Amino acid sequence: MKTFEEKWTAWLDGQLSGRELSEFEASLPDKAAAEAEKADARKLGALLKRELGATALTNEEFFSHQLRERIIREFGGPSAEREARASTWWTIPRLLWTGTASLAVFLIFTVIVIRDKNPAEESQYLTQILNARVDPVVSPNGTVSMFEVKQDRVTVLWTEGLQSLPADYAAK
Amino acid sequence: MVRSLAFLISFVSLIAGAASPSQGAETVWSGLVIAENVAQPQPISPELTRIEGALKKFFGYNQFQVIGQSQKTLKTGQEDWLATSKFFGLHVDAQGETRAGYVLNLKLYKEKELLLETDAKLNKHSPLVIKGPQVGSGQLLLVLVVE
Repeated sequence: MKTFEEKWTAWLDGQLSGRELSEFEASLPDKAAAEAEKADARKLGALLKRELGATALTNEEFFSHQLRERIIREFGGPSAEREARASTWWTIPRLLWTGTASLAVFLIFTVIVIRDKNPAEESQYLTQILNARVDPVVSPNGTVSMFEVKQDRVTVLWTEGLQSLPADYAAK
Repeated sequence: MVRSLAFLISFVSLIAGAASPSQGAETVWSGLVIAENVAQPQPISPELTRIEGALKKFFGYNQFQVIGQSQKTLKTGQEDWLATSKFFGLHVDAQGETRAGYVLNLKLYKEKELLLETDAKLNKHSPLVIKGPQVGSGQLLLVLVVE
């Protein structure tokens, strides 16, 4: 069962017919005023269709270009400024490179420090005596011993029992 | 990006190069030294300055006088040389270079008489001191230093 408003809308749109049309028109209190209102509604509809209907673009690309230009003019400028303000030297690639370089430097210095402080390899930094001997004929009681003084980084070959010589042998 | 990579490689190479031991030509100073206790000690030779404290501590003398010396620049690590005084001769025969220094054969002669022979790996940062015979009131020392 349609309400009066529904029937009214359908009547304005010309969608009532037959018995339903005659019954609705009979129910109208002032048919002349209703007919005038219907005519006004049709005029308004025609006007809206004419004025608001989609107009065919003669040059779509030009229109799109103009639209983009306008968007850039209105929104692009400030956005670019914001980007310029926000951007710094620390871009992502630079951050990565800086991190890699820092890691490399850290590893190099770590290796150097570990090598310097490793007691097992300390002898590499001191002179080593591989062997030593005194002539048994010249110095039958001669002995040799060796020691490393790590503090002064000096290696000493210590001999005992060598033949003592007169002071003349100190001559240049 | 490429420039950054090149910079990084150069930087790391520079650091690594500085960290690794140098393999260039080195000069070895060899000296025959008489250590004595005297009332007025003479200034020590510049070559011995860096080990002056150690010499005094180990041997207990206050003067170290160079009576013979030799400076040899090693290029191949296979050179040999002689440091002599009037009566002593120290023959040094370099038998190769290692990462840390040189392998040396040392012979101490008194005139033509061999007193002492030793083989040593002389480190570039570590002097070698050999206690020789007693001479008068002093002591003959043999010192080798990579300069």
